Order: sequence, then structure tokens, then C-alpha cells
Amino acid sequence: MSQSKNVTDLMMDVFQFPHIPYWFSIKQAMGVTKKSLLTDEKCIRPLAILVFDEKYNLVGTLSLKDILKGLEPKFMKPTTKAQVPAQDEAGLSLLWDSLFDEKSKELSEKQISEVMVPAKVFVDPNDPIAKAAYLMIHNDLVLLPVLENKKKLVGVVRLVEIFDEISNIILKG
Amino acid sequence: MGGLINREYSQKLYVQLYELLKGKIESGEWKVDTQIPTEEDLCKIYEISKATVRLAISEMVRQGYLRRQQGKGTFVCKRVIPEGLSMLTSFKELMLEAGVVFETKVLAQTVMMPTDEINLKLDVHDDAHVIYLKRLRLVDNEPVLLQETYIPHHVCPQLLSDDLEHNSLLELLEAKHNIKITKVKGYIGIAYLSADEASLLELREDSAALLIEQFYYSGETQIQYTRSIKQPERFRFFIELDRSQ
Repeated sequence: MSQSKNVTDLMMDVFQFPHIPYWFSIKQAMGVTKKSLLTDEKCIRPLAILVFDEKYNLVGTLSLKDILKGLEPKFMKPTTKAQVPAQDEAGLSLLWDSLFDEKSKELSEKQISEVMVPAKVFVDPNDPIAKAAYLMIHNDLVLLPVLENKKKLVGVVRLVEIFDEISNIILKG
Repeated sequence: MGGLINREYSQKLYVQLYELLKGKIESGEWKVDTQIPTEEDLCKIYEISKATVRLAISEMVRQGYLRRQQGKGTFVCKRVIPEGLSMLTSFKELMLEAGVVFETKVLAQTVMMPTDEINLKLDVHDDAHVIYLKRLRLVDNEPVLLQETYIPHHVCPQLLSDDLEHNSLLELLEAKHNIKITKVKGYIGIAYLSADEASLLELREDSAALLIEQFYYSGETQIQYTRSIKQPERFRFFIELDRSQ
């Protein structure tokens, strides 16, 4: 694989993505999503928000899926213990439909720290692209944070650049 | 006029040009409302690139020395702010009690998007990144003032790594980052404390406190919005109207 390139060649500026603190509510995160991500002028992908703590440390990422999952009533979430047949799960979603207005509005006041994907995996700017690819695939990440000296956030890696880089090698080879 | 930019200096070229042009205004060589040379002329005079000239001019516009008039050119502003202009804006001055020793706790120094009408208060787009500072001021170990400050990130990204516990924000902006505050608009009112604010100020939720909203400008650009909530019993305001001058 590309020996000459490393993470620093592919990473993006973090300010391409909206920032919010972990204490924001789901409702506030939805507002930020609509204004910063779902506009005609911007088409940055993936549709994700970076979540920070009080000292500007990255603590997580938030995708549209994470936000919607946060609005799901508790009883809708599958448990590992219960053996629920597949057709029943679909039936439950009809119940959610009827509760969407009231219950989900209530749940939208929940802090996003409860629904974000915690930032536990990261790469160094000098790491090879292969490492970034491995971590993203095996941790199912939409964005991979790039930390300098394991502390300072200097960028993020997206799957699209990783894919592009790898496909160049495959298609040219 | 030319020949004053020294490429041997470690100081950046645009900063050198900024200082030169500022000197012309402050010395009166360039009078108020006069048009300054075009970017092309300045490039030739100082033998520097257009990008350097643009940077210096933009900084002068931001600091209130110059104004751009579309289709006409760039002019010297009427309002030149002298060095050392003092304004009653810092926490120390608002205390109005000489010798009061206070402590600052930085509760947040991070970045967020401007929700809940902060974009309107700060006059920025709602997708602009904003530095958020939350500071609690204590006197004799008692919390007396809670300040939330919003600054567009592009105005001073370095603030994220500055020590705000031991330095005044205004001093950092002006002395360290060379961002001159030229105007502050303030509004005083009453706020009813949220649970979080009440807990930090050690008051009851929904109790009344003094609210001061301040809008800071550098030249024509708004660069900061601060919302301060004060323990009402700890403050008194002083206004002096003097017609003798």
C-alpha cells in the first residue's frame, strides 16, 4: 500500500465540521445539524458533528443516526436478553410513530453525551494510512480523530479519502 | 515614502506595513477622510506583494483606522482610537472597590456553534465556529460573577490555549493578540437564575440577579459578546457626568 503517504496527507481541517460541547441537548444538536450540515451551500461528508469538553478536548462524534437513536423511547431498544422475533420489532416501530410527537420531544432535552460515539480511537499525523483504514473499518467510524502527541486535535480522517487512496492503488495496479 | 520595509527583520512584512501606515495616520500625514494610495500603488512603493498589502489594509480596517468604500477606494477614518484609551469594561473596574482581590475559575474554554440566538448577539452566521468561555469570579472565596463570553473563532483562535485564570481577556486581546477594542455597548437588566447559574453563584434558582450584556467592537466589526450575571448585593455602579471640559 502507499508507502509514501501518511495520515497528515489525507486529514481534513476539524473546522470543516460543526463543533458542540457535550452538554448540548439533542434538540440543540438537531438545530446545529440543520444549520451547519443540511444546507444547500455546504455538502461536507460525512454528516457528523464533533463533540468537545470544557477544555476543547474531543470527546466524541455525533452522526444523524446517533441523534435519531437518542429520540427512540427506551422500550423500543432491543435488549440482549430478550429474544424478540423480527416481525415484532417492525410492529414496535408503529408504536414509536404514535409517540413521536410527545415522547421524542421530551427525549430531545437529553444531553448529547448520552448518545454520541465516544472518541476512543485515534491516529497520529505520522501514522500510515493503512493504520487509519484498519481502525475506521474495525471500529465502524465515520470520522477518525488525528491527535498530535496523543493530545492536540489537529485534524480528522474520513473514509472517503481512505477509499480514494486505496482504490487508486488497486485500479492502477 | 518607500524603502522602509526591511526584509531582514523577523517581523512579518504585513505587520511592518501596518505599523508604517498607522504611523502616517497617527502623525497626521494622512488626514481624516483622505483617500490612501491604491493597493497597486502600495505594492510598487513598498516593493511587496498584493497579498501582503491586502493583509495590512484589512487589519487597519478591522482596527478602525481605515474604511473601504466600494468602487471608490480606501479612506482614513474619522474615529482614530488613541493608545491607552481606558474603558470601564474589565472585571476589576466593574468591582469599583480598590484593592479587591479576586480569583478566576475557568469553567469552559472551548468551541461551539452559535445556538440559541448567540449568532444574532454576535452578528455571525449560524454555521460559524465560536470560542466559548465561561468564567466564575470569586472574591474572598465567594462566587460573585459568572461570565459567558462568545468570540468568533477566526477573530482569535489562539485564545483557546491562553491562560485565562491569570490574565485578563481584554489584556490578552489587546496586548498579546493586537486586537484593539474600540467600542463596547452595554445593557444592564435583571436575570432570573437558571439551576446551573444559581448553583455556581450559590443563590436560589429563579432568584433575581444583575445581568450585564456587553457587545465588543474592533473598528466596525463586532468581535465579542459577553453575558455577565452578578450577585446583586456585591455591586454598585458609578456614573460620572462632567460638563467642565
